Amino acid sequence: MVLFNRYRRGLFITSFLAAPVILYLVYVISPYVQAFYIAMTDWRGVTAVPNFIGLDNFQRLLGDSVFWKAVTHNIALLVLLPVITIVIALFFAFLLNVGGKQGVSGIRGSGFYRVVFFFPQVLAVTIVAVLFQQVFRPDGSGMLNAPLMVFGLGPVGFLSDPDLAFWSVLGVLVWQAVGFYVVLFSAGLAGIPKDMFEAAQIDGAGRITLFFRVTLPLLWDTVQVAWVYLGILAMDVFAIVWVMTDQQGGPDWSTTVMAAEIYRNAFEYFRFGYASALGVVMFFFTLGFAVLSLRLSRRERIEY
Amino acid sequence: MPNTPQITRRELLRGAALVPVAGALAACATPASQPAPSSAAPAATSAANPFGVGDKPLEVWIFDGGFGQAYATDIHQPLFKSKYANVEIKHNSTKEITKVLQPRFAGGNPPEVIDNSGANFMDFGALSQDGQLQDLTPLLDAPSWDDPNVKVRDLLDPSVIDIGTYDGKFSVLGYVNYIHGIWYSQKVFDDNGWEIPKTWDAFLQLCETIKKSGEMAPFTYAGKHPQYLYEPLLTMAAKIGGNDVLVDIDNLEDGAWTAEPMLTAAEKWAEVGAKYLMQGTAGLDHVQTQTAQNKKQVAMLPCGSWLENEQKSTTPDDFAYAMFPIPDITSSDAMPYGTLHTQPGENFIVSAKSAHPQAGMEYLRAMLSKKAAGDFSELVTTVTTVKGASEGRDISPGVTSASKAVADAGENTVYYRWYTWYGPLNDEAKAATGQLMTGGLKPKAYLERMQKKADEIKNDSSITKYKR
Amino acid sequence: MPTTTQAPPEVPSRRVARAERKRRLGPLGVLTHATLGIWTLLVTVPIVWTFLASVKSEDEIFGHAWSLPVSPQWDNFARAWEQARIGQYMLNSVVVVSFSTFGTMLVGSMAAYVLARYPFRGNRAIYLLFVSGLAFPFFLALTPLFFVVQNMGNVPVVGPFIGLNTHAGAVLVYIAYSMPFTVFFLAAFFRTLPTAVAEAAMVDGASHTRVFFQIMLPMAKPGIVSITIFNILGQWNQYQIPLILLQDREKWVLTQGIADISTAAGYDADWAALFAALTLAILPMLVVYTVFQRQIQSGLTAGALK
Repeated sequence: MVLFNRYRRGLFITSFLAAPVILYLVYVISPYVQAFYIAMTDWRGVTAVPNFIGLDNFQRLLGDSVFWKAVTHNIALLVLLPVITIVIALFFAFLLNVGGKQGVSGIRGSGFYRVVFFFPQVLAVTIVAVLFQQVFRPDGSGMLNAPLMVFGLGPVGFLSDPDLAFWSVLGVLVWQAVGFYVVLFSAGLAGIPKDMFEAAQIDGAGRITLFFRVTLPLLWDTVQVAWVYLGILAMDVFAIVWVMTDQQGGPDWSTTVMAAEIYRNAFEYFRFGYASALGVVMFFFTLGFAVLSLRLSRRERIEY
Repeated sequence: MPNTPQITRRELLRGAALVPVAGALAACATPASQPAPSSAAPAATSAANPFGVGDKPLEVWIFDGGFGQAYATDIHQPLFKSKYANVEIKHNSTKEITKVLQPRFAGGNPPEVIDNSGANFMDFGALSQDGQLQDLTPLLDAPSWDDPNVKVRDLLDPSVIDIGTYDGKFSVLGYVNYIHGIWYSQKVFDDNGWEIPKTWDAFLQLCETIKKSGEMAPFTYAGKHPQYLYEPLLTMAAKIGGNDVLVDIDNLEDGAWTAEPMLTAAEKWAEVGAKYLMQGTAGLDHVQTQTAQNKKQVAMLPCGSWLENEQKSTTPDDFAYAMFPIPDITSSDAMPYGTLHTQPGENFIVSAKSAHPQAGMEYLRAMLSKKAAGDFSELVTTVTTVKGASEGRDISPGVTSASKAVADAGENTVYYRWYTWYGPLNDEAKAATGQLMTGGLKPKAYLERMQKKADEIKNDSSITKYKR
Repeated sequence: MPTTTQAPPEVPSRRVARAERKRRLGPLGVLTHATLGIWTLLVTVPIVWTFLASVKSEDEIFGHAWSLPVSPQWDNFARAWEQARIGQYMLNSVVVVSFSTFGTMLVGSMAAYVLARYPFRGNRAIYLLFVSGLAFPFFLALTPLFFVVQNMGNVPVVGPFIGLNTHAGAVLVYIAYSMPFTVFFLAAFFRTLPTAVAEAAMVDGASHTRVFFQIMLPMAKPGIVSITIFNILGQWNQYQIPLILLQDREKWVLTQGIADISTAAGYDADWAALFAALTLAILPMLVVYTVFQRQIQSGLTAGALK
């Protein structure tokens, strides 16, 4: 009986794991493994048999100024995107949930705000990219430039000025992300017992004190989740840059990111070997970020 | 989030380390495991069927850009069909050739005929290097479609053959003769009494006049795609310093970009960029700027002879497109007034590893017939590379103007090829030229930057080099 | 504009209450609404502007950005629908995403459940294998993935259904690439569920499979719902995978269609149709979201916080 049960259990485990594991190995793991091999070849995508060239591609990428520019953009995004998004989202979540009466309840219309803020999240990234291309148009037909020009300020080259384009990209990313984190933080706040706030208020805490002394510490776990999500988002940015910006990462390479350079080298220059080497570097960057954030996020939690 | 910290760094790394082990078990799909391309057993050849077209299907991919695709389905394919009724033609079109077809090449089953054009064309160098391009020399030596006594070679301008040659083999057929120049509306010029400038000073004077008139902006270009501007810049440099300026750039010679004529040309255009551009130019694309010209918001822009067809739907009826060549810059320009940049474009290739390359070559032979080329010229209002194909045809004002410019230029035509040979150099040129025009780069710095990239490519052993 | 949760209409007697609240909140309360209002505008204005532009004529689009359409050009939509085939792409997206999300949730929850609740040799290794996928940049796999799918097309019998240019092939790839995220969160979720009910059922002779489908899965509903929503959003937005796997125009999904129209506008100059297509792509998502927003929001947060 015991043996039969063990057999049944084994069969169950195997049958439940078979499909996901096979799918995953075939479609995810095997391409990645091959990519590591392709990174050490001179494959141009159309040859039958790639030549093995060892670490040449890695040596070459050290001197690739465009790629390193892309890396700095990813790093900038890695810092700025989470910070800006989290600050804005926390602020809004706080206003929506605790900003109301006596700083304890939510404010009027908070449901409405939450719904609207989430809108950008349900739009596909490519759609957002095309939409903002029009919003940013550098003449009187652009949504932003039309009013600016009325005041004699425009036209501003939101996407055509290399000093500005990066910020436009960042702006769109934040625009799209904030709503989700407002909802996330709101839920976090809802999970905090009301009496915690009331107790703090009785102690005479103002709204700002309330935020920094009570809200933030209790939300710290959620903030960490947000940080990891946004960090991964920042590392993987592609469609916004590729579809929205001038010259796909321009002007003058001012908005390019790692993913765009990988795509460019693979599908525009037909340097698949080299592109894979860039991908390997990106892999280690992402891994580095994951490890780092896991490390940093070890902080004692407040039990309630 | 209680779960995130559960994975320690070591575990994460261990997980990553497991990857190769798992991969070894997984389905192998390296490109090496591909089946060898099927080689077609050729049918018998004859004078009427010089390549031995069999009865396998013929797959054609057309770049669906400025010329659309109707010319293929309505002109070329019926003509081919009239002779080979049993060959099924699979017609396809796309705006992004690379995205769609690169995998087909990698997969070993490319289509027979490809119009490898547009912004997303496939790198000819890479295709050639991998033996994907059918050697079209037999096509050149075959009798022409119309006259068995005339070889196809004799229908084409020598520059078509020169430009279409990769690794010593003629393998890319430029079908359209792109004629570059500064385009304007004859009507607008006539109405305002503006004259075509013959010298650079006159050009600047004209810009000044237009600017002061308040009617419209003097000049614009597709700011989003700065290749539209490096074109007149390079042509101007060739006019000042001679054809060798461009040959040196193509051949990645030391200091080719920083040569004196290049500096002069860069300075001249940087001045235009600083003073006479339409507002917002840097962020507008070709359609937006060209439409602005149609709406009489700007007087002149640099473009090629495809312009008229591309703008068909927005051009006012009495617009009367016309073009003029780069004006004289100095009194001692190496090349005379009228020097033109003409370049075969709309590049057709036949895939060597396709199932039926013979039919592909025959399709090109049909395209080069007088009827096909003539009908094409008329339909898409442009000039083909087939000699005399538009004779006796009803052609548009823009094509008339461009054709006249070609006739006036005579032997004084120039072209360059580096941008198709070295993709990264092209991208750098776009990036830097945009900066030159907005003042972000001074002319000298601009050329030094280009030279640096050219040197980088020259010293990169992984990039195949070409010479002309 | 959703009005479901909006404040009730102003009635005179409320004015007093409002003034009262204002007094209590002080300027900070007003400021709060002003701040939230600004973001509301930032979010809605570009979207509304797109809707407006979708009924403008070509001339109006090239004119002043804020001019209103003189007479609505509804045929822009006809062009977007027919020529740009937005309808077809949307249908394709719906088909692919329904199957892939269902499949993802099915196999993902199975894997997550076993990994969370059944200790066995290699459990940790398999779990980590899945989870480490979170850190892989997709771009590294792009090219080899293409060949894997292409070779799948050569598998006997099923090959033609799961090779390149097939929706089923894309569905399988979507599922595989959703595994790391799905397994990671669902496993965490299953670990938090109490074991007593399942154990009791086992004692009563229920099979492992039955326990999973009839007891554990219903218990895990909040987590399942939220991860499902994440997967729908993620897979609906997917651009890279279809870009390389679905090259046949017939098979395209919505994101490809929109990106193509944007590129195409560069040649055909049909900007009006582009805006109409954007509207067609945006509107259904907003409607569906607004209708289900309560479930979506609570679902999202339930999962993300567990």
